[in-house]
Amino acid sequence: MSQDYLPHTPWSQRIDQTAARIGRVLSLIWLLLLAVIVLNVSMRYAFNQGRIELEELQWHLYSVGFLLGLGYAYQADAHIRVDVLHERMAHRTKAWIELYGIVLLLIPFIALVLIYSIPFVTTSFAAAEVSGSPGGLPMRWLIKSALPLGFALLLLTVTARLLRVWHFLFFNDPGSSHASQ
Amino acid sequence: MPANEILAIGMFVSFIALVFTGFPVAWLLGGLAIVFSALAIVLEADFQLATGVDWNYTSLTVERIWNVMENWVMVALPMFILMGLLLDRSGIANQLMHSFARLFGSLRGGLAITVTVIGLLLAATTGIIGASVVLLALLGLPAMLQQNYDKSLAAGTVCAVGTLGILIPPSIMLVLMADRMSMSVGDLFLGAVFPGALLGGLYIGYLLLVGWLQPHRAPASPAEPFDWAAIRALFWAILPPGFLILAVLGSIFFGLASPTEAAGVGAGGALLLAVIKKQMNRAVMAEVLQETTRTTAYIFAVLLGATAFSLVLRGLGGDELIEGALLSLPFEPTGIIVAILVATFLLGFFLDWIELTLIVLPLVAPVVVNLGFDPVWFTILFAVCLQTSFLTPPVGFAIFYLKGVAPEGIGVTTIYRGVVPFIVLQVIGMLIIFNWQAIVTWLPTQAYG
Repeated sequence: MSQDYLPHTPWSQRIDQTAARIGRVLSLIWLLLLAVIVLNVSMRYAFNQGRIELEELQWHLYSVGFLLGLGYAYQADAHIRVDVLHERMAHRTKAWIELYGIVLLLIPFIALVLIYSIPFVTTSFAAAEVSGSPGGLPMRWLIKSALPLGFALLLLTVTARLLRVWHFLFFNDPGSSHASQ
Repeated sequence: MPANEILAIGMFVSFIALVFTGFPVAWLLGGLAIVFSALAIVLEADFQLATGVDWNYTSLTVERIWNVMENWVMVALPMFILMGLLLDRSGIANQLMHSFARLFGSLRGGLAITVTVIGLLLAATTGIIGASVVLLALLGLPAMLQQNYDKSLAAGTVCAVGTLGILIPPSIMLVLMADRMSMSVGDLFLGAVFPGALLGGLYIGYLLLVGWLQPHRAPASPAEPFDWAAIRALFWAILPPGFLILAVLGSIFFGLASPTEAAGVGAGGALLLAVIKKQMNRAVMAEVLQETTRTTAYIFAVLLGATAFSLVLRGLGGDELIEGALLSLPFEPTGIIVAILVATFLLGFFLDWIELTLIVLPLVAPVVVNLGFDPVWFTILFAVCLQTSFLTPPVGFAIFYLKGVAPEGIGVTTIYRGVVPFIVLQVIGMLIIFNWQAIVTWLPTQAYG
């Protein structure tokens, strides 16, 4: 991982480990999704009827998978970067870029999504919104809440990274720069 | 120039400039959307300059994300990723390499052709350039070098075939492109079949030619007797993955299944295959699933960031700006297409297909369609252009990935020399596709019969 140069703090470690654990459990969702698709296809051929609720369940599962996966991928530093120059930068330069990027770009983006997605969920809850198609799934607010939840998780892992960057830039004595595992 | 257009240009320029800092592309895109919304609001409130963007407008991002969430077609994406990873771990590639080499090894250039055919067959595994180049490099490179292949030829083959994977259906790039272009995934898959085969055919032709004219660069293996056992082994090696991929494509072709269903069932088939081949256990399964989560998440992160970015860019009039700029070029309509492709080619040096598909394609596509060109044809041409770009020095993605895993003695210059002939082949392929649109458009019109 390219973030290994950043030392962990007790809290960043705790957050990252939790995110990793969530990611491991979350990943099982793809097996479930696979099973739902296969079941739906077989039912369509065996009984000549596709089930709307199974089709909706498919995109429910997929949404939960990619939204809650955002934080997990962040913790694993899987989000794509353009490496051409980044690879050759000194650790301090990288850490400054990370700091400015997180504070000026990433956190404002997360803030926008969180601020506007919470009313998005509460309105749906208040209106007791259900699926528009006949036979669709109830409780639309539940799947809609995957959006703020995913971004909240992302924010948590971003905080962990911020702690590490902060620690590296301002509290790091040269001797302990390899304190990370 | 009105304030909003200056902001739109500033937004695009900031993106290109800041992407080189190495900050994750997804968050750069999302963040710039917020920063430029804020700028627009300040300009409007404090300087009385009309910009047309406010927080209410930018907050539409949430609606757009919801549209992504409830998009049933996009469910195919993680399933194709899972299918690819499962095929990757199932040991099929290894078995294919072994049995192909046994049959074609005694042909000059045969090993390189083997790598090409495996790359085409397992293109499903890939879609992700890094993954396919690494797979082919680990599998094919040692075998070719052991047989005294010219290093640059071996390296060039691996790079070129590795990038071809993003084009060959079922390809996740095409799923994403179809979504952005509001096209059917099936049409795009079918449109890519002949262009993919054409490029594969050009590669194989070139390798045969090298084997014939310059035998020392692609020597044959010490003659192994040709026997039926070898053919049988090859048949059994090709059958499972070949059947799986044909079943996925065929069921889409004949309208038996949606791409989502085909992807899910394909992933199920790949899982079954891995279990039968005894390559599956809890640890491998967990790893594959987690890799699926990470890959899916980073692709969708860019999708979400790009959604916000494009939304604000459109609000600032970026669309009309691009359209105006393109239409004011002193060219014929075909000249405009060429200009777009050249720009894409250059951007492809630095940006991955994900960003280009999500940002550039939706910007230029309406112009192209308004000029009366076939959208499927243009999208495939765009895809081939991207693929060529990833292959081209000085900063082709494929070259860097290969450099990362190549054995000692294969330096960057060796790889550069190796990819040059393949770039020429790509250009030939693009010219053919450019001049004979039917190569792309014929198959989709025959489908769903």
